[in-house]
Parts: sequence; structure tokens; C-alpha cells
Amino acid sequence: MAGLELLSDQGYRVDGRRAGELRKIQARMGVFAQADGSAYIEQGNTKALAVVYGPHEIRGSRARALPDRALVNCQYSSATFSTGERKRRPHGDRKSCEMGLQLRQTFEAAILTQLHPRSQIDIYVQVLQADGGTYAACVNAATLAVLDAGVPMRDFVCACSAGFVDGTPLADLSHVEEAAGGPQLALALLPASGQIALLEMDARLHEDHLEQVLEAAARAARDVHALLDRVVRQHVREASVLLGD
Amino acid sequence: MLQKREKVLLLKTFQGRTLRIVREHYLRPSVPCNSPLCSQPTVCLNDGKLLSSDVTHYMIPDWKVVQDYFEILEFPELKGIIFMQTACQAVQHQRGRRQYNKLRNLLKDARHDCVPFANEFLQDCYLPREQGESMEKWQTRSIYSAAVWYYHHCQDRMPVIVVTEDEEAVQQYGSETEGVFVISFKNYLDNFWPDLKAAHELCDSILQSRRERENERQESHRKEYPEHLPLEVLEAGIKSGRYIQGILKVNKHRAQIEAFARLQGASSKDSGRVVGILQKNWRDYVVTFPSKEEVQSQGKNAQKILVTPWDYRIPKIRISTQQAEALQDFRVVVRIDSWESTSMYPNGHFVRVLGRIGDLEGEIATILVENSISVAPFSEAQMCEMPVNTPENPWKVSPEEERERKDLRKTHLVFSIDPKGCEDVDDTLSVRTLSNGNLELGVHIADVTHFVAPNSYSDIEARTRATTYYLADRRYDMLPSILSADLCSLLGGVDRYAVSVLWELDKTSYEIKKVWYGRTIIRSAYKLFYEAAQELLDGNFSVIDDIPEFRDLDEKSRQAKLEELVWAVRKLTDIARHVRAKRHGALELEGVEVRIQLDEKKNICDLIPKQPLEVHETVAECMILANHWVAKKIWESFPHQALLRQHPPPHQEFFSELRECAKAKGFFIDTRSNKTLADSLDNANDPSDPIVNRLLRSMATHAMSNALYFSTGSCAEEEFHHYGLALDKYTHFTSPIRRYSDIIVHRLLMAAISKDKKMESKENLFSNKDLEELCRHINNRNRAAQRSQKRSTELFQCMYFKDKDQETEDRCISDGVIYSMRTNGVLVFIPRFGIKGAAYLKNKDGLVISCGPDSHSEWKPGSLQRFQNKITSTTTGGESVTFHLFDHVTVRISVQASRCHSDTIRLEIISNKPYMIPDTELFHQSSLLLKSDLVKEVTRSVEEAQLAQEVKVNVIQEDCEKYCQTKGRSLYTLLEEIRDLALLDVSNSHGI
Repeated sequence: MAGLELLSDQGYRVDGRRAGELRKIQARMGVFAQADGSAYIEQGNTKALAVVYGPHEIRGSRARALPDRALVNCQYSSATFSTGERKRRPHGDRKSCEMGLQLRQTFEAAILTQLHPRSQIDIYVQVLQADGGTYAACVNAATLAVLDAGVPMRDFVCACSAGFVDGTPLADLSHVEEAAGGPQLALALLPASGQIALLEMDARLHEDHLEQVLEAAARAARDVHALLDRVVRQHVREASVLLGD
Repeated sequence: MLQKREKVLLLKTFQGRTLRIVREHYLRPSVPCNSPLCSQPTVCLNDGKLLSSDVTHYMIPDWKVVQDYFEILEFPELKGIIFMQTACQAVQHQRGRRQYNKLRNLLKDARHDCVPFANEFLQDCYLPREQGESMEKWQTRSIYSAAVWYYHHCQDRMPVIVVTEDEEAVQQYGSETEGVFVISFKNYLDNFWPDLKAAHELCDSILQSRRERENERQESHRKEYPEHLPLEVLEAGIKSGRYIQGILKVNKHRAQIEAFARLQGASSKDSGRVVGILQKNWRDYVVTFPSKEEVQSQGKNAQKILVTPWDYRIPKIRISTQQAEALQDFRVVVRIDSWESTSMYPNGHFVRVLGRIGDLEGEIATILVENSISVAPFSEAQMCEMPVNTPENPWKVSPEEERERKDLRKTHLVFSIDPKGCEDVDDTLSVRTLSNGNLELGVHIADVTHFVAPNSYSDIEARTRATTYYLADRRYDMLPSILSADLCSLLGGVDRYAVSVLWELDKTSYEIKKVWYGRTIIRSAYKLFYEAAQELLDGNFSVIDDIPEFRDLDEKSRQAKLEELVWAVRKLTDIARHVRAKRHGALELEGVEVRIQLDEKKNICDLIPKQPLEVHETVAECMILANHWVAKKIWESFPHQALLRQHPPPHQEFFSELRECAKAKGFFIDTRSNKTLADSLDNANDPSDPIVNRLLRSMATHAMSNALYFSTGSCAEEEFHHYGLALDKYTHFTSPIRRYSDIIVHRLLMAAISKDKKMESKENLFSNKDLEELCRHINNRNRAAQRSQKRSTELFQCMYFKDKDQETEDRCISDGVIYSMRTNGVLVFIPRFGIKGAAYLKNKDGLVISCGPDSHSEWKPGSLQRFQNKITSTTTGGESVTFHLFDHVTVRISVQASRCHSDTIRLEIISNKPYMIPDTELFHQSSLLLKSDLVKEVTRSVEEAQLAQEVKVNVIQEDCEKYCQTKGRSLYTLLEEIRDLALLDVSNSHGI
């Protein structure tokens, strides 16, 4: 089989999307009653579950407490059955540590941590099925969960990935597109202000192209925002109906 | 709104476990249908190419048909083809990248009436594969259901024909939907294209070769070759460094035993083995069928025939055909289908007939096919794009253009200097004094891009051709003649569009102060030819009678005009001298020494050797200046996507042969820089033998690398240098009529100008990657053009000598100069005919040459001894004869005829003394003079032969026009071409 054609001459990607189109997103908030906040998201076949506890007192060593703001603690894990081959992924391996750190950076930028000094906010994210764009799915799920928990934030954090194939930026890469080995950029955006919470890329990409890839990722992140916004409003409406009764 | 579906794939891993992969598959409510009959144009949003509306039906090939009969689908006669995505993907997965790219290019080609249709992404067409359904069945089902949808989408107005090879499908779907027919491919051709003979033949030969292959697969054979490794293994091996990737170059002379792999980076010379092929470079091959006797010796199985390719490097190809006997005397094009590891030879199929063996037209067609040059006449669609210029409806300057362009018609004295009778004038010059006392030099180039819009049919055609092909007796134009000889040609006395470069020069020092680029309107006042311009320069005004522009003037105005013109020519020459002096170290490699003269019928009536006139240099210098400044401009505006021309400096070790040879004659060649090389070549002149210098120069050119086009984005700035011209940046701008690169440069320049004006550029420029691809294509085509020109010259040489009796004919014996030593012979250059070739000193029986007292040679047993500068042949009898470098010998020229390949010239030394020519005048004639003679002679004899066959009087006239096409080009372009040619492998390295 010859190398896969990621973008056909007619402008279609392998799964039938066009360059700027997102995968199908479905999300639900408040999936667990025990946690302070929780959310479940499906971006295409990537499925992630996020749970938020807090703000609460610092657990463990008191020394970790920050005098002026809350501590954001993020943990990432992925299910053994999340990929095609079943594989045990112990806690604390490098990949999940890195992902946890990235999530932490993202949410420290978004959560108004100074409102809760000397306290802690825990965000746990688990990927149930990985099919490309795990970081983006985690951020989006965690955003919904944080909102569900009622923790004050500056804005939504919406994340999306973008790649670059044959001079065209592609939004929201699937696993097939990621595996092809081209450059991939992950972007977490605060859509209202347009500020970037996190930007990550670990492949080589010519400077001239960076802007258009970034632009594509930002546009995709705004689209994600519109969807998440609808989910939140829907959830609030349902909740208020319940309260009203 | 997209709908999401999921596709489940079950793959087997290397460990043998099954892996379940779930892939998403999105369906959309509409995809472009690319049909003019579309019922919902607002939904389909068609952009790009549409099917033409004058077809009687749409044809949808099944996946199997696309794979097997793709070559027939490529026929431009077949119209209204819709390639379903399912079929395209099947090609991609089962036939590999090469075949798929062919399909992609066909779909992109605006000249071909076919469109893609993304049926799998359309909600109404997508059919999920059912449990237990085979892939093949599912593909056929998808294609059929898409065809039905398409039929209804076009409001049932256009019958749709699904062509399949699957008999069951014909049965099952044949009468399911009215208006959608399912028939087999053979049936389709018979019913709809009964007259398309070529397609039928091709279809038969494909069918036959496929049947053969199937038969073969059933019989289990012993393996002749070890199997190549699969692609994945190769890719992994290359990554890990176990295998090395390179480009295979097969030795032309020892194809069976020697080949080199050009590696990227690595320079070590190890021997190795080919373990696998990443990408094949198959093309069409010209072959010859074996003669009757040989067929019989091949055995009873007369359906399979081994044919011999014209190219020595290609193995014999096995063909299945029943026409073998009929095709015996023809040159035939075949394609290779496959090469099983169980077979000694590859399998192929017959494509078309070119012409009889030995027939001039057939042989020329062979040369064209072997160099992948396609020169079909311009199509109607292209001609429709051309502007009109007839006496009833003359072409005029349009008022809009008049507003936008700078008008130089009144203000500038513009003139062109070209060879006599030239009809495609792409460059003109002007010079004048400005009001502030400074000079203004102008170079005005034909504005071809005004007439050839990007991606128009003529543009695509020109891009494919990339250059005008000049063969020994004819040329194939890049642009239709309405442009090349009329509207783009800057003829005298008519208004023409031009792209100009104007420099403001200091009045005394000629320093360039300012430069202006832009579109202009000019009217060339004089169309001078070189000799007249030179006479004017020398102050000899008697030539003015030869200049038609002066004829109808009265004495007084003639005098005034003449003075004006003479001043301009002189000033121009002066400027050119200064500019040239500033460019240190330019190489003058092989001086031009011909003048082409044409009579009224455009026949070449004379080619007079001549020392280059200063005017030649003046014009050339102005062109180089323009090219250089345009190169600078476009590079500054588009640092990553400008098309420039580089000439990398040569490797010093390649000069060793030159240095050694020069030493033999007592000269020292300093090759450290282009300047020293040029100087020392000028000094290395043997007054008694002018040929020595010529040979040394040709050796120097042999050592040079080729000048190439490139995109600036893919090269470091230091590498832009042009070694031969000693310029830091250079491009081709001045001949857009006959080079596609110049058209690109014109577009870049126009975009640069609008960028300067802060205007949004209309032109869609090539990205660096596309431009790099295009440069590779143009370079490749240029090489093909040079090769075919060389090949056709050799063909004419052979035809010239072929039927001559060697013993009696005077011209078969000539003087030759030894210019290189080999182990069993010497390489000889024959100045009279410009032929280079090998002369053996040891023949096949092991006898060596010896020369008696009367200096005539004989073959005797003995041995050869080769030294650096000489070769000695000693017979067992003790006689010995020594040949030194640059010795003059007498050679006999004969032709070694070959049925399957091109004929070759054979040289035989018959005396070790120079050949004495009774007529001294003949001796002075240049090789090229005789070359044109030779072309004429051969064409004449061919014409005579044709006449004898078909007694038609009007044929002569036609032939006359056909064979004696004009060679009219400006001498500058000729010079440029020879410079390019010189950088190529001139001294055809005959391996002895």
C-alpha cells in the first residue's frame, strides 16, 4: 500500500472531512454525583472523562500551600483499553506526567486561582479511547468539569490541534493523520480575549507556515467554544428546571 | 452538517494477532458533481473543471477497468468519464503510487474530459460494506449505486454507462435502472468507439498480456531472480541504515554488467546489490520486432515474442501479439506491465506503431519517444484561446492596455538585431540620451504572458513542452505560431506589447543609476540583421540599401535617420564593452562561427563560418545584463520562490585530463577560477593547428557541470552563482517565445512590480515546492531537447554516409585529430564533419594496427601499450607505430548499421599521416557548414524516395515546408544554446 494520501486533490481528508472541519463533538456535564464537577466529551472517537474536586484544603503536606492563590493539581491517565492494542499504563509514567503538567499550566492560566488562597483544586482526566487529539479532548473535558464544579474561571479554555499537509493546515487531527508523522500543533485558547493558554509543537515547521497553522488551530478552537457554550447552557437550563420544580 | 459513520477494519499485526481499528467516516449532504447538467448548482458548488456538455453519455469505469485499462481511458477521444472515488482508492491501494499519480494528473489535466466524484463521502451514495461481502463486490456495488445517483442528479437527462469487467455485475445490475447501463469494456469500445482503432488494438494487447500473466501464475516456475524486498522492509532498512538509497544509472555501453547507484551524500565506491525498488522509472519504450528468421528460432510459441528495445539499457521485453509478422519492419512503442521474479524478461504490451525502420520520419519519431517528447499539433481548444490577426480582422492595441502600459512608441528608437530572416523576434533594444544628460538603455522583451494566461490550455501545453525543440532539420514550437511568429514577435513597424527593462546610466562612466521594469508598448523601427549592424558600426554605410526601412525615404530624412541609428548602435556597443569588462572571468567556451542564411522559402541556403562580430557580443551582453537585473529583482521580491539559473563551479579533479592534454602540447591551464581558466584557454593556442584550442575548450566544457534552473527557496544564497557568466544571480528572461522558464520569470517580475506598487497581485505564484518541481521538469525537458537534437544530428550523419561506397566515395575519407587515449583505441575528432568517435587499434580478432612505410595501415598480430599521452602498437614482427595526442590521422568513415538500435558511425584509421585534401578551400570550411549540407542532402534523398512511392506533385511543396523549417533565431539565443550544449556531454564518451 502506498503512503496514505492525507489530503486528496479534491480537498478531502481520509475520513471525509475538509481541511478546516472538526470531528463530531458530543459532551455532557455532571456525569458523576460524588464529585464537585464532572464532564464527559467525545471528539470523534476520542473519549475523555474529567472530574474536579475542590477548592478544598491542601491534602498531604501543608508546605505545598500557596499563600496567595490556589494550587491546581492535574492528573492524567488513559485506560488500558483506550488504544487498538491493550496496554497497561502505570500511573506516573513520563507521558502522563507531561500531560498532567501541560493541563496544569493550561488551567492555572484560566482559573482565577487568587480567589482561593491556600487551597487546592484537583482535576483528574481519564482518556477512555484515544483517536488523536487527546490533549485537546482532555482540556475541553476539564473545562466543562471545572465549570460544573462552579470554580470561577476567566473564560472557557478551548483546545484544538492542527497539522500541516501539502501546504494546507488541517484542523483537529485524527489518529491516522497524527501517525503519518507531519507536524502537529496543540493550542489552548481563551476565546473571548483570544489569549493563548498553552501552545505546543514538537516537530519542525517552517516559520512562514506557523502563522497559518496557528490561525487554523485558533479558528477550530473558537468552533469548539461555540459547541461547549451550547452544552453548558443546555446543562444550566436542565439544572434550573430541576431546581424550579 | 456532517454525519458520522464508523468503519471497522481488522488488520493483522506482524505478530499475527488481529487488531481491530475503528476509523471515523464522515458523510456530507453534497459533494461537487462537476457536471454542467447539475440540478442543484447551489448545493454542489462546483468549481474547477466540469465535464463538457456535448457528450452523448457519461462513462463510469469500474474499479477493475480503471486499473487494467487506464491507458485507454487516457485517450483524449474518450469523453465524459467520471472516476468514482471508490475506483481511485482501489488504484491507490492496489496499484501503488505511480499508477495513482498518473490518475491524479489525468484528473487535473484540463485538456482531458474527466472528473472525480467523491461518492464515498456523499450521504446518499455511501454504502457500508456488509458482513461477509468481499471487497471487490462492495466496490462494484458502491460504484453502481453512485452511478444511479448521478443519473438522477442530472435529472435523468444523460444516460450513464457503467463499464465493468465483472460478468456477474452485468447480469445483476444490467437492467435494474433505466438510463444506467452496465456493459463490459470490450463491449463499450465496440459500440461507442468502433472507429478508434488505436484503442481497440491497445485493448487487445492488454487483454492478451493479462491472460498470459494469469496462465503464468498458475504454472509454478523456478525463480530466475531473488525476489525484491517489500516496501515496508526497505523503508525500515533505509531508516536503520542497513540499506542505502540511491538512483541507479546503467552504463550505456556495458548495460548488462555495469551500473552505478548515485547516492545522496555518500561518496565511497563500494559494490553492492539491488535489494528492492522504491520507485520505478518506467516510460514508453521503442522496440523492434525480431525478423522472420529470428522468430522461428524462438520456437513454436509465436504468440509470445521477445522484442528488442532501442535503448541498450533496457532488457528485451516479452510481448503477446498476433501481429508480430506485420510489425516486423516497424518501430513500435511498448509499455512494460510487470516483471515476475520467475521470468528472465519483463512482460509488456504493444501500444502503437511509429514508422518503418530506417525511414526518416520513423526514426525521428523514435528519438522523440525515447526522450519522452510529445509534439502533438496544438488542439482546437488551445487555438481558440489565441488572439486573431487576419487581414480582415487585424489585431490592435487595446485602449485599456494603452492606459496601463508605458508608451514608448513615440519617445524611443527601438530596433532589433537578429540573424537574417528570423521570424520570432523576442528581444529589441533601445538607447537614448535623457534630458539630464544621462543615457537610458532599454531591453524590450516580447510580452508573451499577456497572451498566455496562467493555467490556460496553451499555458498547460507550453509547460508540458517547456521549450521549443530544435532537431537537425525541423523544430517543434512551444507556442502556436500565431504567437511565436506574429503577435509576440517584435517585428519592425508594428505596435507590440513588451516587457521592458530600462536603465539610467551615467553619461561617462556608464554606472547604473536607476532601473525601471514594466510593461510597455513599443514599435520597433528597424529589424536589422547582424551583418548590417556591424557594417553600420564600422562606418560602412553602403549596407543601407539592404535595410528595407530606409528604402522609401527621400535623401534628407534618410540621412538624419541613419545618423540617429548609427549613433544608437555605436553607443550600445560602447555600453556593452563596459558592462562586459566589469564581469570578470566569464568563460567563452566555444565560439560561435556560423551564419545562418535563409532564402525566401525559408530554406537554409547557406551557413557561412565567420568570426563572431562585435555586434553579436553587444546584443548578448545586453541580454545578459537584462537577465541579471531581472534575476536580482525577482529574488529581492520573492526570496523563497523565484526561478533563477545556477551554474555550479566544476570539480577540480575533472580538469586533470584537460591539464594533462594541454601539458602534452606545452601549455599550462590554470583551472583555479573561471577567470584564470578563461585566460589560460585563450593562451593555449597552437598557431599551426587551430583545432588544438578547439579540442581543449571542448574538454574544458566537458569538465563543467550543467547550468540548471532552481527555486531560490531550496538553495542557499551562495549557491546561486553562475560560474560560466561570472554573475552572482542569473535567470532567463529574454526568450519567452521559446522557453517556458522565461514565461515564469515574466510572471514573477510582473508580480514583483505590483508588489512594489502595494497592489494585490493577480498572479497566483508557485510555491517553493511547486516551483522546484517545475524547475526539475524544465531541466529534464531541456536535457531531453539537447539529447534529441544531438541524436537527430547523429541520425542525419549516419543517413548521409549510409549508402556511400566507402572505397570510392571521396567524402568517406577524412582528416581526424586524436583527442583522447583508451586501452584499445583512440578517440578521434573529425573537424570537417564535427564528428567525434572511437577508432580501434585492436580489432575483435586481436590483431593490432600497423603502418607500413607508405603509412597505410594493416591489421597484424601484436600488442598495444598505452601511455598518458600516446599509444603504441607493436606487431610481432617488431614494427611499431605510435599515436600521440593531437596527431592528425586519416580515417575512413563508415556506418555500422543496426536493426534494433540507432546506426552508429564507425571510424577506422587508414593512415597515420594527415589526409591531404586536394581542394584547400574545402579544408577551411567548418564542420557546421557540412552539417547543414548533410541535412539537406539526406532530406532530399528522403523526399526523392517518397516521391518515387507516391507520385504526387503537391507533396514536394509540402515536404519542402515540412523539412526545411526555419532555423531563424537570434544569434544570441544560438550562442546561449551552444553554451548550454557545451556544458553538456559533447565529446560523446565512447567506451572502448
